[in-house]
Amino acid sequence: MAQAALTDLLQEESIRLDCTATDRLDAVRQCGQALVAVGAADETYVDAMLQREQSVSTFVGEGVAIPHGTLAGKESVKRDALVVLRFPDGVDWDGNDVRVCVGIAAAGGGHVAILSQLAEILLDPAKAERLRSATDAQQVYDLLTPDED
Amino acid sequence: MTTIDGSSIKKLIVACDAGMGSSVMLAGQLKKQLKKNGVTVEHSPVAHIPADADLVVTQAGLADRARGVVPDVPVVPFQLFLGDPKVAKIVKAIQDGTSVEV
Repeated sequence: MAQAALTDLLQEESIRLDCTATDRLDAVRQCGQALVAVGAADETYVDAMLQREQSVSTFVGEGVAIPHGTLAGKESVKRDALVVLRFPDGVDWDGNDVRVCVGIAAAGGGHVAILSQLAEILLDPAKAERLRSATDAQQVYDLLTPDED
Repeated sequence: MTTIDGSSIKKLIVACDAGMGSSVMLAGQLKKQLKKNGVTVEHSPVAHIPADADLVVTQAGLADRARGVVPDVPVVPFQLFLGDPKVAKIVKAIQDGTSVEV
């Protein structure tokens, strides 16, 4: 995927590397607000994300969670987009220590390649560590750019 | 326990609640691993699992809902999004064309 497509989905202003949250639902709410801020969803999507998190956790391992809405919440999605919020102090996620949240709003499949790449990162402990310790947006873009294959 | 005949799997569905997060991640991985085996891998919301699926894998908490949607299709629940031992067994059975108990 070209870098242009990646920056369409994940705008630079949606990469926030120095966040703090009081708890996991606060972190999810911040991801939702960030998606609303870039016009990817309306406010009701934030509630759908909170609802989803309370029914099934979106923790995916390696200190990463991928908050997103429910099937019903898809109606509040205006376009496919991702946000990356980093919590350097960690957020307690039902006993797991989460450092990075990748918030997702998706009505279509535009985000599939990036999520596959995220899976690759999570299966590689060294890459996962680089994601958890990223301090500028370019490092995040570099990690999330899908491999050519 | 369910017996899965790897050679009979042609369409594998990864299901999650909304079909936009975890299932997308896992489906991408499985697609890569099963590319050479002629298996169609798709992700889907649990409520919309296609009836012609040969096998469904889904988060443990959603397995009962998945079984309600496609009662005739084997549903294998997993605990870990990535690197789950059950999912690894299924992939190997499909690649080798063998049967496996999961």
